[in-house]
Amino acid sequence: MSVLASASPTFPVLPALILTPLFGALLVVLGPRRRPELLKLTAVLATVATGALSLWVLLAFDAGGEGFQFASRHAWIGELGISWLFGVDGISLFLIVLTGILFPIAILATDPGHDSRAYYAWMLVLEGGVMGVFASLDLVMFFLCFEIVLVPMYFLIGRWGHGNRTYAATKFFLYTMAGSALMLVGIVSLAFLHADATGGALTFDLVAIAEAQSIATETARWLFLAFALAFAVKVPIFPLHTWLPDAHTEAPTAGSVILAGVLLKLGTYGFLRFGLYLFPEATHHFAPVFLVLGVVGIVYGAVVATMQKDLKRLVAYSSVAHLGFIILGTFALNTEGIEGGLLQMVNHGISTGALFLLVGMIYERRRTRQIDELGGLQKSAPLLAGVFMVVMLSSIGLPGLNGFVGEFLVLVGTFNAHRWYAVVAAGGVVLAALYLLWAYQRVFHGPAEGDNADMPDLCLREGLVLAPLLALIVVLGVYPKPVIERMEPAVDALVEHIERHVDGFEEPTSRMGIDISPDGPLDGPADSEEGH
Amino acid sequence: MFAQAETVATPEVLWWALVPLLVLAGAAVLLLTVASLVRRLPEWLPAAWTIVAGLAVLVSVVPLWNEVQDDGARSFLAGAVGIDGSTLFVTALLAVAVVATALLSRAYLTREDLPGVELYVLLLLSAAGGVVMASANDLIVLFLGLELLSIAVYVMAALHLRRIQSQEAALKYFVLGAFASAFLLYGIALVYGATGATGLARIAGYLSTTILLEDGMLMAGFGLLLVGLGFKVAAVPFHAWAPDVYQGAPTPVVAWMAAGVKAAGFAALLRVFVLTFGSWSGEWQPAVWGLAILTVLGGSVVAVVQTDVKRMLAYSSIAHAGFLLVGVQAASDRGTAAVLTYLGVYTLLACGSFAVVTVVGGAGDDRHGIDAYRGLGARRPWLAGAFAVLLLGQAGVPFTAGFVAKFGVIAAATEGHSYALAGIAMVSAAVAAFVYLRILVALYMEDRHLEDDDEAGAVEVDPAPWGPRIVITVSVALVLVLGVVPGPLVDLAKDAVPVLVGG
Amino acid sequence: MLLNQFLLLAAALFAIGVYGVLARRNGVLVLMSIELILNSVNINLVAFSAVSATVGGEIFALFIIAVAAAEVGVGLAMVLLLYRNRRSIDLTEIDQLRG
Repeated sequence: MSVLASASPTFPVLPALILTPLFGALLVVLGPRRRPELLKLTAVLATVATGALSLWVLLAFDAGGEGFQFASRHAWIGELGISWLFGVDGISLFLIVLTGILFPIAILATDPGHDSRAYYAWMLVLEGGVMGVFASLDLVMFFLCFEIVLVPMYFLIGRWGHGNRTYAATKFFLYTMAGSALMLVGIVSLAFLHADATGGALTFDLVAIAEAQSIATETARWLFLAFALAFAVKVPIFPLHTWLPDAHTEAPTAGSVILAGVLLKLGTYGFLRFGLYLFPEATHHFAPVFLVLGVVGIVYGAVVATMQKDLKRLVAYSSVAHLGFIILGTFALNTEGIEGGLLQMVNHGISTGALFLLVGMIYERRRTRQIDELGGLQKSAPLLAGVFMVVMLSSIGLPGLNGFVGEFLVLVGTFNAHRWYAVVAAGGVVLAALYLLWAYQRVFHGPAEGDNADMPDLCLREGLVLAPLLALIVVLGVYPKPVIERMEPAVDALVEHIERHVDGFEEPTSRMGIDISPDGPLDGPADSEEGH
Repeated sequence: MFAQAETVATPEVLWWALVPLLVLAGAAVLLLTVASLVRRLPEWLPAAWTIVAGLAVLVSVVPLWNEVQDDGARSFLAGAVGIDGSTLFVTALLAVAVVATALLSRAYLTREDLPGVELYVLLLLSAAGGVVMASANDLIVLFLGLELLSIAVYVMAALHLRRIQSQEAALKYFVLGAFASAFLLYGIALVYGATGATGLARIAGYLSTTILLEDGMLMAGFGLLLVGLGFKVAAVPFHAWAPDVYQGAPTPVVAWMAAGVKAAGFAALLRVFVLTFGSWSGEWQPAVWGLAILTVLGGSVVAVVQTDVKRMLAYSSIAHAGFLLVGVQAASDRGTAAVLTYLGVYTLLACGSFAVVTVVGGAGDDRHGIDAYRGLGARRPWLAGAFAVLLLGQAGVPFTAGFVAKFGVIAAATEGHSYALAGIAMVSAAVAAFVYLRILVALYMEDRHLEDDDEAGAVEVDPAPWGPRIVITVSVALVLVLGVVPGPLVDLAKDAVPVLVGG
Repeated sequence: MLLNQFLLLAAALFAIGVYGVLARRNGVLVLMSIELILNSVNINLVAFSAVSATVGGEIFALFIIAVAAAEVGVGLAMVLLLYRNRRSIDLTEIDQLRG
């Protein structure tokens, strides 16, 4: 198969990415219950090892390479044609790295307080599952991993969360499980229809099915909807988002970081990999719906965030808005939009992850997240305030920080494809500045009273945890080229794939003749290959 | 007619193929005899005897399986009894369920201070009935097997002498079960009238070669047979007995009902409908389609409002029956293999779950409210963890055997283009997940209240005796292992697809 | 042949039996109604057997008579047990189990 042509190295690094955290979980489960610090050490070592592996994948990744790299295949249920099939391309690469980086940070940043053994075990299982989602190229394997992450997250929210944790955890579980119920039927139908159409054996190989495009148009649209429902719940897209504020708010800090940073990306990644790639025609057909919902999400998230009294809930709603951008870029169906969306996934993971960490740190000190009860924290904790400022500006999308690059590309892509959507979405950027700055002002400025006056500043551990995120925020903002040039071949191939399989579809590019592709003004030589 | 004949022609008997049945029935009769002759039997003997018999059946199945795989299915006793892959597969499941039930019963009878030989005798007889059903090649034999299985279970349900609920459950089960048997018989009579045969192979031959001008009687026969078997496997709307009986009957007996009786019932459904009436599948598929939808939805939705864990599990077992019907509805080899896989997985899940319920139920067997499970995660972490795995398995979470089972029937349904059925089944699986989550919440997420305010309210759960402990450990281990490495079970089930051999 | 008459008789008995099971409150009468259904099946089987000149139906009827005896034995024992505990065999009075 040509798309899997890249020679795989002898070391099966992708299975190792999944198995390392699972092995760590096993060690933790067998570890001593009364020694939480040992358990934590085990968990940290396992996640750091996984992170190191993911960085190794990043370094060994052939930037210009076509198709999936590090591919490996092992039969699972031979009778049904299901296999462990892994591979990485420019689309999944950075999500894997993001996962590898966020998990050790989330584990280092906070302690569970009780039942450490189960806590660390679930965190590690969660990491294994997420890695599995990003690395799987077999539809059933993907579904398995997509579903299994529910279980650890359910327990993390339900056992170590705040206040209304049981309700939030149950809601989270049921929403997502109901959403993906039809996806399984879709996956199985797709495989059978593909096998019927091609006359071949039953297979769940994503690449084989996507490249063959053997499904009738009408059927493919129904199947796309079955997939899209699952992803839309996971993202979440506007009317299906109601589980998110509850889950985010009630989850423990590490849970929120992982939920926002990584789990939401499962949905957006799903759209790219299993929506656009598997069903290009259906995606194009339904794109207007998702563009509208994306824009609605941006505006709705921003407006509702403005009205929140709880700092964590505010950040949660800002996530809804940010994910609206990602959806917008994805369904713009051009290179800039998709790349922007992809970059925004990584950026949102970093900046919202950091925001949740900071909110968690404030909560640990003050035992409240109500904006009213906070105030003037800048005086007692200047360092915390400074970090919060940078992260928040990155979340707003200030030029020079990472958030800008992604949002800019999304807006450019959307503008080229559907001008007015971009205009409305740009309004969302302004709103984001409004609610975040206003919240910052209320929390950090003004007179400090009572406990707010003598709140301790960041300690060394917290500084060390935040440092890599800050570094990423700045580096990705100033010099995103290495990231973009690794994404580019995969995204180009995806757009070409859509052009090839959708009659009369041409990639919507700049009509004004200005080259705003990432090879253009952002960095040096403009060797764009614009064909029209 | 044969008065002049010198010798009466006796049908050929393949004794080797009857070994599992003979072991079970023989063990039962022997146990009964010994127990009535010897005044004081050692307390452990009946249970050990039953377990040995169950294991012997398991062992004896292996050479038979090889024989059948090599030389194909056979029929004997003038075509009345057959042996094929599915017979042996279901026999093995029944043997596993017998061993598990015996392990649970020993602990249960000791705790409840009940006399015990009868339970084991009835268990073995009931299992023998199940084996007869799984090897039936004739409707008469099928009926005999069903009655042997059922009558024994009626009595088993009543065995807790001091619990009025136990007797009530038994009587309800008996009345509805006998009622269902009567329907089944009427259906058999009509099918016999329409086709002129009771042998499955001859009925199948007749149906596939003859064009009936008037098929009303046959259709009525199909309908009544479906009602009768629907009662036995507790399909909605014939499920009304299941929650009451599950709630009232002694918990180890419930494990046997959920695992053993269901396996035998579906073995019969597969033999009669998919295999014998296969050429007429267009006629009965819509009925099974409707039954499957009602059952998955009904079981899942009603389970949500229950507060008694045994009733919850009863409704969830109804929902599982619905999933099994989804596989039956496909009326294909893939569907049959999926049903057998599902039965294998469900046997494990049911035995394990009811083992936990047996332990938590405590002396008197009445602590089955969801309150009894509150905070179990903190006080009995291993028991709670095992229950959590079993519940997640029942919910069909990936990397548990439950997912493999659900995946199989969904694949079979989609292959048969029953997309709506597959979709509805998956959605109701999500509804059913809520039930399991409620128990998980009680296990893990409400422990803090207890520590704080009502320490006395916490129900003390005694440590599990070794019998239930073995059942729980083995079932949890298998549920996890088969979730990650399902290949062997799937392959076995594929090789176990039943075949009809002449008669 | 008079097959239809036999079938009608059987169907009538079946209907009466079903009505009895559903409507009667007395445990023993319910058992008798079940017997009625089983006997309607027997009539059917024997009639079919006579029409088609096979012995299968008659054999089946013999089996049913034997099994029905066993079943009723168990049923009566249960009703007796109920009577001992409650001094009543009214089925509507057993209502311990509900959800």
